[in-house]
Amino acid sequence: MRRRPGIGGLQTAAAARDQYRLLGENVAKLRTDLMKEQLATFRSQLEEFARKHKNDIRKNPSFRSQFHEMCAKVGVDPLASNKGFWAELLGIGDFYYELGVQIVEICLATRSLNGGLIDLQELCKLLRQKRKHDREAVSEDDCLRAISKLKTLGSGFEVISAGKKKLVRSVPTELKKDHNEILELAQAQGYVTVDEVERRLSWTHGRAIDSLDTLLEEGLAMIDDGHRDGKRRYWFPCVSSISSFGV
Amino acid sequence: MSNFFSKAEVTSSVRPVFLRNEVECHLLSGVDVEPEDYQFSPLKSGILILTTHRLLWLSSSSATTPTSASSIPLAAISHIFSSKKSLKSVFHSPRIRFQVLVSSDGRVFDPGSGSGSSIGSGSRSVVVTAVVRGKGDCDGFLVKFWDSWRARAWESNETSGSGSGTGSGLASGSGAGTGTGGGLYSTDGSVRMVGVAGILRKEQEMWESTDKSLQDAFQDLNALMSKAKEMVMLAEKMRQKLLSGTSSQTSGTNDEEMGSKEEMQDWLLSVGIISPVTKESAGALYHQQLSRQLADFVKTPLERAGGMINLIDAYCLFNRARGTELISPDDMLQACSLWEKFDVPVMLRKFDSGVMVIQNKSHSDEEVFARIKSLATKPEALRNGISPTDAAMTLGIAPAMAKEHLLTAESKGFLCRDISPDGFRFYINLFPEIDPSNIYFVKDYGICSTWIKAVSTSG
Repeated sequence: MRRRPGIGGLQTAAAARDQYRLLGENVAKLRTDLMKEQLATFRSQLEEFARKHKNDIRKNPSFRSQFHEMCAKVGVDPLASNKGFWAELLGIGDFYYELGVQIVEICLATRSLNGGLIDLQELCKLLRQKRKHDREAVSEDDCLRAISKLKTLGSGFEVISAGKKKLVRSVPTELKKDHNEILELAQAQGYVTVDEVERRLSWTHGRAIDSLDTLLEEGLAMIDDGHRDGKRRYWFPCVSSISSFGV
Repeated sequence: MSNFFSKAEVTSSVRPVFLRNEVECHLLSGVDVEPEDYQFSPLKSGILILTTHRLLWLSSSSATTPTSASSIPLAAISHIFSSKKSLKSVFHSPRIRFQVLVSSDGRVFDPGSGSGSSIGSGSRSVVVTAVVRGKGDCDGFLVKFWDSWRARAWESNETSGSGSGTGSGLASGSGAGTGTGGGLYSTDGSVRMVGVAGILRKEQEMWESTDKSLQDAFQDLNALMSKAKEMVMLAEKMRQKLLSGTSSQTSGTNDEEMGSKEEMQDWLLSVGIISPVTKESAGALYHQQLSRQLADFVKTPLERAGGMINLIDAYCLFNRARGTELISPDDMLQACSLWEKFDVPVMLRKFDSGVMVIQNKSHSDEEVFARIKSLATKPEALRNGISPTDAAMTLGIAPAMAKEHLLTAESKGFLCRDISPDGFRFYINLFPEIDPSNIYFVKDYGICSTWIKAVSTSG
């Protein structure tokens, strides 16, 4: 392209740029068409898979969790959107979102009893009772996935591990490590005393009182001053089964 | 604006108002509606929505206010042309052609108008073309168009029209249905079981088929996943293009670029990859429509809850209302984040604690603070303070929201907190009234004196 001086040169350069741009757009268009084709092929493959194995996914929790693991490895999120192929063809979208809504309802209903912290197994049990008309089995893994999706909506839905148990938190409280250790301690008998905390965890008096008071404020602990030895006990409804309180 | 089409009602969030039993079937963007051998001013560049009863066209350009919406009742359509796959059609944008009955006064025949304009000898039919310039699925739309037109949903006014028909009438699958619906229940609602023998037999069958099919299933799963991996890599390339496309020059072809960006977002979503809403793009078309739908839905719960509602509560309410085809939490979040781009009367707000709420734009913080202040200066409140539950009852909002408001008021300096084993209580802030150089001096007209009076009467 011979460079010409003056206006003519500028015009030629502009024309050349335009031509290159058009070429680039055409190449891009080709790639878009390729993507469209790939998508259609993928979709038909997924349809084939769904036709054969949709029931397996619905009925078999271990297959389902295997499916999720593989999706995660590849980097797709089958629960990302209701509009995705996964939700549409395999029907797992509705299953998990419905589960999510039910979990929220259960947490709301039990909040007055346990302050917003509920044991995962307890949650699963209540969930199964609620869903006893549906014949699809719900495993703990399913609950965990539904809850991890709920996290995006704020309001503090999260799963924390305290010792052997997994607890589901449904209030936006900041639970620090100290609190977790107290919860772990409480799993033995359902309650702790200040002395026990100081002794077993080797904390100072102030630290123990501070953590216990925070837990009390948030409604996760209840005070029991009625024992003969006069020591104050802090009970934690969340680490023991609700049904054991005769509710 | 031409008087050719009937006017369609829209809500304040630019979503169409549906008739009773009307269900949305399909949607195309970037559509022009032009006449073929009749004169009416063409409709340019809008969204074409197919429902079980009508064809709706919404203008998508924000330049024309009020946004115009037109509708053609499916009853007025006399013929739909099948798409001709000629050499010419490869180069043009896909077109949908159909014939519409025109009454004697030059407008589209409206069966609901009851003006007596019958399909007598006086009316003619006119061919209308919808040119699809966006990159939507035209063939799928055409198929659904045929189905909806043949199903004649507008003729069955009595009893349930939508979807799960009990045999009569809508047996031809009007497309707008509940899909496969699972095999648990038969059409009249009873569970498909024939006694104990049936259950046992089913269990046995399940056992036998499980082992074998599971092996197949795992093999198929592996094959599927390798294909998915390819898709993901391709999608990543596309996404890079999306991101880099915004930084390159934006001359001229903005509409076309925006259309293709939306399409790409839709595709990424289908495969299962979320792309966040950026400043330039408005995300997938699906999320845009969802966003408007949500804005309409959330109005009633907001009023009931006093102007502010927890995001997670809204999510549960919305999904419960939908019944089937529930949306994911990510969908909800994307839809709500899009509100700041559209002109809707609601907004998403995030508090420091991480709680996210939906609130009315007109709902101001000042008003709430004024109410809290008046609550906090009552005699009982001066003595005992207010707890979140008291505030919740007075303000008519949820206790969690009330607590957020009280904390915000505290950070603004109106209230002071008092932490005790009973929990949080808030008192009116008296410190600003106290003059540091003369701390015992009490102004007669201030809140301090009111407080002293109130406290001293309790003894």
